[in-house]
Amino acid sequence: MRSHVKLSAVVAGGLVAALAGCGGTTGPSTGSGGGTNTAASGDCSSAEVFCVGLVTDVGKVDDKGFNQAAWEGVEEVKGELGAQTKYIETTDPKDYAKNIKQFTDTKYDVIVTVGFLMGDATRAAGKQYPNTKFIGFDQFQADPVVPNVTGLIFHEDQAGYAAGYLAGLMTKTNKIGVVLGQEIPPTQAYAAGYENGAMAANPGIKVSKVYHPAGNTAFNDPVWGAGEAKKMLAQGADFIFGAGGNTGNGALQEAAKTAGAGDKIFCIGVDLDQWNTLPAAHPCLITSAEKHEKEGIGTLLKQIKSNEIKPGNFFGTAGISQFHDFDSKVPADVKTKVGDVVKKLEDGSLATGYKP
Amino acid sequence: MEWLQRNRISVGTTVVILVAAYVFYVVNDNVATSMFKGAWFFAVPLVLGALTGVVGERSGVVNIGIEGQMLVAAFTAFFTAAASGSLVVGVGVGMLAGIVMGAFLAFTTVKGLMDQIIAGVVINIVATGLTSFFYRPGQVLSANMPQWDIPVLSSIPLIGDVFFQTGPIALFALLAVPVVHLALFRTRWGLRTRSIGEYPSAADTAGINVIRMRLLNVTIGGIFAGAAGAFLSMEATAGFERGMTAGRGFLALAILIFGAWRPLRVFAAALFFGFTNALASQLQGVINIPQQFITLLPYLLTLVVLAVAAGRVRAPGAVGQPFVKGEGS
Repeated sequence: MRSHVKLSAVVAGGLVAALAGCGGTTGPSTGSGGGTNTAASGDCSSAEVFCVGLVTDVGKVDDKGFNQAAWEGVEEVKGELGAQTKYIETTDPKDYAKNIKQFTDTKYDVIVTVGFLMGDATRAAGKQYPNTKFIGFDQFQADPVVPNVTGLIFHEDQAGYAAGYLAGLMTKTNKIGVVLGQEIPPTQAYAAGYENGAMAANPGIKVSKVYHPAGNTAFNDPVWGAGEAKKMLAQGADFIFGAGGNTGNGALQEAAKTAGAGDKIFCIGVDLDQWNTLPAAHPCLITSAEKHEKEGIGTLLKQIKSNEIKPGNFFGTAGISQFHDFDSKVPADVKTKVGDVVKKLEDGSLATGYKP
Repeated sequence: MEWLQRNRISVGTTVVILVAAYVFYVVNDNVATSMFKGAWFFAVPLVLGALTGVVGERSGVVNIGIEGQMLVAAFTAFFTAAASGSLVVGVGVGMLAGIVMGAFLAFTTVKGLMDQIIAGVVINIVATGLTSFFYRPGQVLSANMPQWDIPVLSSIPLIGDVFFQTGPIALFALLAVPVVHLALFRTRWGLRTRSIGEYPSAADTAGINVIRMRLLNVTIGGIFAGAAGAFLSMEATAGFERGMTAGRGFLALAILIFGAWRPLRVFAAALFFGFTNALASQLQGVINIPQQFITLLPYLLTLVVLAVAAGRVRAPGAVGQPFVKGEGS
């Protein structure tokens, strides 16, 4: 009978911890909705003043992740467009609509919302305020599209393909690996692109690929990622692609600690240039499979200004980051070939072979 | 001979597993070695976490706060090491954090007579909250944890590769298992510990200070969870992430039960969990069974073992019950 009591206690404890985990990841709160003004306020309702507002997903504009990239994208074209810009940091998912409304109330021309999770709130606001333009980062627009909402999305498989192509050209052991988070469309796209890119560069290559089996911790289990990377490296892989949030970061850190890191062992980051976000991986981080979020947002803002914007989905470009300290270790012909592939992926003359 | 007779099942199982492992090694040494290495890598925090459970529950105190103890230890170990630049200080402070969390559990439940399950839950929630709030990104360790090749032992085929080419905390876990086993079953401390966990009022009558001993054991037991935490953030990876224990503390509890509250069996159970984990990822994409089913295997087996062995495997008699002198139980 004891065992029964104990097991149920274990289960209950696990549930509580899982719930606590959810609360914990929202991070430190900065009060109600947050909000920081950066420019002198003109009247956004007048036709001459071009106002761009950005609402972050839960997180800060200096998160070294997608929120920061989005804000930098806005700031980069600010001068060129003569725009007045402002951001609101979301601290609670319940505030999505409220934060968007702060901008619509003051008649902003463009509102950028960051993150897949804000998709519904953005579409709802789009329907309610047909004269405001919306850009939704990572928000796929399914039919019927809202005429004033444009989703900015990326082909993860293209970034994966370029990374795999590089690894395929450079591997000495003909074995490379990829450690992924949960098996969902974005990770599948990265993995498929990586495999196909490696095959294209090196038909004899063997690609080991592993997805995290659990649902709730799949993107936040660096120890598991490290273990899998250890196993792949022991079985002869010399490139590790970590594509799964902190789980992937664990794999990158393991490769960075392995003997020969930077000479014989290399690793590839994901989503943004992880050279800037994960210093622990510097010993092996040759490049990152990157989505060019900043450029995508800049392009869309310019299209809005010149009235060329189309509703539906806009595909931003994806490729690989610069090599930083590894610049001298990548042979010139490899650089040329990889650059060529990235260009062909961008202009559509090369397909990655990934079918969503 | 008598000892062999008594332990024929455990000895037999061990021999069969060893033979199977070496057959595998002969067939493909590279894959076998990397999989068993992966199994032990996965098992280290589970073994350590479960040892905290063994010491606590053998003394009569349920500890479901191991997850929280590990998380706080992982946090303090990494950030201390990053700030001080010393790995030794980091690991030491991590273990100390485990002990402090153990002391919290001990004082609230043994002195304060708080419900032990609730105290454990409190530890888990507080640990998640504190470590999430104080987390700062961008910190790095000044150096990696060393990797040691233990002389002679590390040249044994397979076993040497798996257990004796090792980081310091994994080695600590390997040594802690037989030490706790011997202490528990061959020393006066062990006898007393087991007696206060089985029948505290009888132990009290015999002149053992039940309260003091429980306080001490639960507090000191935290050192293993502390080491597990330091392993996660410093030896297994090189950084702390929010919630990085990812349920390993609860897995350690399952292993504690699967291992029948005995250190050696806990060790075997943790290795088994580790091996199925390595098997699951090795078989991904190779055979067409959803990986989740392979990952499920150890949990299913835990249930089967508990069901079959329900009569023989049982928790310490007084586990979960606070002891109040003079009230009996």
